[in-house]
Amino acid sequence: MQYKKLTGLLLTGLALMLSSCNEYLDINNNPNNPDKVEAALLLAPIENQYVLGIQFDARYIGSYVQNWHNATSGVVWDAQGYTPSSDAGGELWRSVYWKGGRNLLNLIDDARAGQKWDYLGVGLLMQAWGWQMLTDVHGEIILSEAYDLDPNKNTFDYDTQEAVYARVVELSREAIQNLNRADGAVSQAALARGDVLYKGDRLKWKKFAYGLLAINAHHLSKKASLYKPDQVIAYVDSAFTSNADDALFTFNGLSTADASFFGPVRQNLQVYGQSTFITRLLDGTNTAFGGVKDPRLPIMLATSGDGQIRGITMGQGQSTAASVPLPTRVVSPWGTQLGINPPAGTTGRYIFTDRGPFPLMTYAQLQFIKAEAAFIKGDKATALAAYRKGIEAHLTAPYVNVSATDRAAYLANPAVVPTAENLALNQIMLQKYIAQWGWGFLEQWADMRRYNYDASVFTGLTLPTTFYINNNGKTVQRLRPRYNSEYVWNADALAKIGGLELDFHTKPLWFTQP
Amino acid sequence: MAALAQDRTISGRVTSADDNQPIPGASVVVRGSTRGTTTDANGNFRIQATRGQALRISFIGTTTQDVTIGNADVINVALKQEANALNEVVVTALGIEREKRQLGYAVTEVAGQDLANSQRDNFLNAIQGRVAGVQVGTSSGMPGSSSSVIIRGINSLSGNNQPLYVVDGMPISNNTISSNNFASSRAASGQSTENRTVDFSNRAQDINPNDIETITILKGPEAAALYGVEAANGAIVITTKKGRSGQGRISYTNSFTWQQTGPLPKTQRVYGQGNNGVSNNTNFNAFGPRIPENDTLYNNAENFLRTGTGQRHNLSFDGGTDRYTYRLSAGYTSSEGVIPTTDYKRLNITLGGTAKLTDKLSLESTIQYINTDNRKVSKGANSFLIGMLSWPVTDDMSNYLNPDGSRRRATVGNTEVENPYFDINKNLLRDRGNRVVTNVGGNYTVADWLTLSARVGLDAFSTQYLIKYHPESNRSGGVIGGALDQATDNNRTLTAQYFATLKRTFGKLDASLLVGQAIYDYRYEVLATRGEKFLDPNFTSINNTDPLTQKSLSTLRQRRLIGAFANATLDYDNTVTLTLTGRNDWSSTFPIQNRSFFYPSASLSFVFTELLPDGGLRKALSYGKLRFSAAQVGKEAPEYATTQAYENQTTTGGGFSYGFTAPNPVLRPEKVTSVEVGTELKFFNGRFGIDAAYYRTTSVAQIIRDLRISYGTGFVLKTINGGKLWNNGIELSLTAEPIRQPNFGWNTTINFTKTDSRLEQLAPGLTEFYNSDSNVYSNIRNGSRLGGPLTTLTGNSYLRNAKGDILISPLSGLPLTETVWNVVADRNPDFVVGFLNSFRYRDLSLNFLFDIRKGGDVYNATESYLYRTGLSTKTLDRETPRVFTGVLKDGLENSDTPTRNSIQVVPYYNNNFYTSLADETFIERDINWVRLKEVTVRYNLPTSVLGRSRIFKSASVFFTGNDLFLLTNYTGGDPGVNAVNTATGGSGGFGIDFGNLPLPRVFNAGINIGL
Repeated sequence: MQYKKLTGLLLTGLALMLSSCNEYLDINNNPNNPDKVEAALLLAPIENQYVLGIQFDARYIGSYVQNWHNATSGVVWDAQGYTPSSDAGGELWRSVYWKGGRNLLNLIDDARAGQKWDYLGVGLLMQAWGWQMLTDVHGEIILSEAYDLDPNKNTFDYDTQEAVYARVVELSREAIQNLNRADGAVSQAALARGDVLYKGDRLKWKKFAYGLLAINAHHLSKKASLYKPDQVIAYVDSAFTSNADDALFTFNGLSTADASFFGPVRQNLQVYGQSTFITRLLDGTNTAFGGVKDPRLPIMLATSGDGQIRGITMGQGQSTAASVPLPTRVVSPWGTQLGINPPAGTTGRYIFTDRGPFPLMTYAQLQFIKAEAAFIKGDKATALAAYRKGIEAHLTAPYVNVSATDRAAYLANPAVVPTAENLALNQIMLQKYIAQWGWGFLEQWADMRRYNYDASVFTGLTLPTTFYINNNGKTVQRLRPRYNSEYVWNADALAKIGGLELDFHTKPLWFTQP
Repeated sequence: MAALAQDRTISGRVTSADDNQPIPGASVVVRGSTRGTTTDANGNFRIQATRGQALRISFIGTTTQDVTIGNADVINVALKQEANALNEVVVTALGIEREKRQLGYAVTEVAGQDLANSQRDNFLNAIQGRVAGVQVGTSSGMPGSSSSVIIRGINSLSGNNQPLYVVDGMPISNNTISSNNFASSRAASGQSTENRTVDFSNRAQDINPNDIETITILKGPEAAALYGVEAANGAIVITTKKGRSGQGRISYTNSFTWQQTGPLPKTQRVYGQGNNGVSNNTNFNAFGPRIPENDTLYNNAENFLRTGTGQRHNLSFDGGTDRYTYRLSAGYTSSEGVIPTTDYKRLNITLGGTAKLTDKLSLESTIQYINTDNRKVSKGANSFLIGMLSWPVTDDMSNYLNPDGSRRRATVGNTEVENPYFDINKNLLRDRGNRVVTNVGGNYTVADWLTLSARVGLDAFSTQYLIKYHPESNRSGGVIGGALDQATDNNRTLTAQYFATLKRTFGKLDASLLVGQAIYDYRYEVLATRGEKFLDPNFTSINNTDPLTQKSLSTLRQRRLIGAFANATLDYDNTVTLTLTGRNDWSSTFPIQNRSFFYPSASLSFVFTELLPDGGLRKALSYGKLRFSAAQVGKEAPEYATTQAYENQTTTGGGFSYGFTAPNPVLRPEKVTSVEVGTELKFFNGRFGIDAAYYRTTSVAQIIRDLRISYGTGFVLKTINGGKLWNNGIELSLTAEPIRQPNFGWNTTINFTKTDSRLEQLAPGLTEFYNSDSNVYSNIRNGSRLGGPLTTLTGNSYLRNAKGDILISPLSGLPLTETVWNVVADRNPDFVVGFLNSFRYRDLSLNFLFDIRKGGDVYNATESYLYRTGLSTKTLDRETPRVFTGVLKDGLENSDTPTRNSIQVVPYYNNNFYTSLADETFIERDINWVRLKEVTVRYNLPTSVLGRSRIFKSASVFFTGNDLFLLTNYTGGDPGVNAVNTATGGSGGFGIDFGNLPLPRVFNAGINIGL
């Protein structure tokens, strides 16, 4: 009897304990950080990471498009190759899917729920922009299956580039609708809390959206059935109207955490020297502009110790032999010795400083797009006007700022700005290249791929003498998706688009095809 | 008064009834008084007592005897050994003592004395070889290194595989701080501190071996039936020393230590700095021309390392009456490693007491205070070892500063390695801790069939960690003007449990039932701060850093568990015992719907010798038992895995973003099921014994942490219930006492362990689980493939044709490597053996322990590094032209007539030859070793010597050597080191050797004195 009583008592005691234990055990929400935050707190990191993503991958894309080359000879990227089993060239992938990704979805949800139409517009636009950049770099990407919530889903199929291009248009249009709204909780002060890029100016964002649409539409120039030059021109006309609209990202630049990836404190560019290609374009030795020395030469490019401006030829590196004295060697974009970390106190130069700025889309860039569209259409007068505006805009950009005298002389030179009749495609493309040097890697690469690295369009452009072994002699067309995301964990989906082929990076993208 | 007058001195001798050997240390107490003593080294005692009083004489492992004092002044007692082990008692879960014969699963005990006598600072290292089925690995040979203990193999792919540590019935923390708790995890990429470069102590090693009475190792999840989820990997149950009743005793032990480095890798000293046969000082490659004969060469490594010294002192007082006892001990350990500046200091103060307040109520309590101070040097890439080996032999490494005080470099360019002298003198890696472990327990006997027990424990510690990289350091901190990471952790483990034990006998059937509840509450908080850009490069303080660079990080981890358990034991006629347990846990780490989980166990013990008639077989086989058990246990998830939180961003504009890991709102407990069969046999009154066990553990719904996934999820990692794996093994322990003479004895034990494991299932679509922390050099990492063991390494291998020939580049004549990771090695040994011997000749004893391993692969990443940089002695034939065996990848490689490679390479002129080799080349296969873990010679001063002094009751002098030699077919340093620390889960980094300090050879000498 006693056993039963006692056991009964113990069990009752236990039951009482357990009823209150759920509360005692409710401690599994991470106390170290919030699990829900408003849109304003989500935007800045996304803007940042998009910029850093471009900058990270620019070390490699910058070599493909011959902005710069490695100080060491024979580096795979200078042979239009890639580093196998490496995440190199996969940073934008990380920025878009992870740093944008669900953060952006949450931003959009919060904005929609709180009638923050400005945040909603920017959020949608960031999505559109992310997809545009990513598809231009990698081709097919995960779109419809991205961010699936099922914890047991492990394979994420790729969408065609055509689908991504359509999605970008859709998102941009929805963004514009929202950016047009001034009702609800829309306020410049509120948007400025999270918006590092435009400090809350939603109208500039709207122009940015049109700029993105222009880029999207213009990339289809090789597709006779889809390309509409008038549409491109219309988009450009709704986009930036002056340098004041430029999307320039300025970093705090106080430490490695908040500095530009291109700043000396981050120590990422010490092995890259400006290319022979850009050097010859600016110093007048490239025949495209009739031997005119560009006033931007000493502003954009770095001067060697002996006062000369030199470049590295793709794949050849910078000799460190004693016969090539230090003052005659190419220097880093900061003007410091190649191959070693910048000495303490290096501030950098041009846009290569800790604070930047880093341009993301500029008025000049869009004017060149307009010029090319008009040129293709056959409207040479419009083409020339936009071409001239593009050059002038870049010469007067705050980070270039060529003196008025030099600017006037340059623009007045018929070898640079010819008559409408004499305007040539290579001039448009090369001036666009110059205006995008050091930041517009993605658009430069899109241009080169549209014309398949044609030296008649990109005068003076040479291809590697020896391609990377797996190129099988073909030019580079895309970066392979991020290795530790896709090759290791999504190989089945990747296989379906041929991503496991060793020469996948030479497979042309949809947008470059007729 | 009259009674006192009748007091007289009784003397006598306590011997063993079996062999007439004296029993030193037996307890002699006058019943009902505070008077008591212990026997000396020769079994003799003297005590004051009165006629009619009773002396109680007891000794562990023997039957206690009471002798009433009559007229005789001399009382000699022969204590009977409990040879049948029938009454042998072990401490199991909850501090419950159970008779060993009743247990249906394997338990092993190690005497605290053996641990203390091994003279290890970290008692865990003394367990290696002493217990079958237990593998202890150290992360390096530096003082205070963390030790990983794996009982019965790997049960968790990514989670913790360390056992639960229990002191006097209550769990304590065995935390090793993980590098992601440092504020450097918020610094820019490339600046963070990683588990593979730093190594902080694991907290279980705080316990003073001299305070340990015994350690019971509960190997399987059977232990978990009563300890809950935490013990799913087994438990190490520590019982601390308590005071013994009788006259107060003082004992003092010391030892003085010298240590020398273990085997270091050899480097070539023929060719100098350079590339392709041309002298070049832009990097550390030793592919340059031959060093001119009259150049001075330096023995940089030998000059750098020192002879480490150390000392230990332990002083204890104990005593008491038969109702109250106390014990106070103080221990101090100081050990300086072979690398200058490294040291480990520990102070332990322990106070314990027991009290029988009434006949029904007894209490006991211990409180331990521990202070530690440990200085190490970073390991892995840029470690002192790599620096030491890479330093050009033509340069004096000790000359590490320029005349102006700045760092002197051996290269120009970006590839400088850290000068080890600079590293030890200018960088800092240090932890200092204070800890209190205490617990109070009580038993109340309500009736002879009912006992109530309760116990409360607290483990509180705070440790301060410092990582400093000098502004001129070559490490990541150097390039940003110096970096200081500082963190203080605060741990509070609060545990409480109470249970009722009911006992009743029905004829030949003894039944007992235990019902109880436990609450474990874990709170671990780290406050970390970091600063960069030192104002004064040589001053170590966060105040000395640029305020603009300062970052802080606060981390709180909380976990709670409530368990309710029951344990029923049915013992029929001391022959068959059936034990059934059930436990339900409620863990805070799961979503509400999966929070509660139940797991049962059953075990059966059958002492079949009880049924045999006396004589016949019984004469030889004195004891025989069969064991069967089956048990299940759930395993917890890491905290905060079910919902996600944002992380504060330090990029321009600040804000929040998600961290790497996706949340899993449907996480559920891992289920581990274990089946064990075994036997214990004792022959010839225990002169020879066998303990054998076979077990198989299956773990399903593995909680796989930090699984890499496609970024298409929006995250980088996720935590899922995915894997299924099994793990089995054979454990065999043979004990023998071949010689048992009054003046000469020999005991020997052989512990044999063989394990195997298999990864049977991963999440759909996944074929490999790997640990990125273990990828310390080039492309080899701890990776498990579906259908393979959990102990494999995956990595970079050669590209081969269908026939298996290595493919050669037609351009260079050098081999091509795969772009995907293949399984390249299995680290699991074929078997390991511990071989323990102890000899006694009169007052002299000799003990030694061999640790033997057969098979298992080791990745010699150090050699890979040396080879690729031309430092390896294997590169000495570089002037010999050669053709790499293989076929050209010219399109014909898979045809019937592939082109054999005929391209000749002279590595001297083309050192790409050395870097073109696949990483798999540096896997050393089937590594065996024989290691003398420990050898002790001890001389007990005979009573004839001690008697004259009248001060000392006992005294001995000893010499102990640790890791004195290592015989191995491994070509590198020490194959037994680990590339990561125990904060890394899963099968960790054992079998990966990169820049690790081999275990040092340690010589200890000291004395033991008893007053």
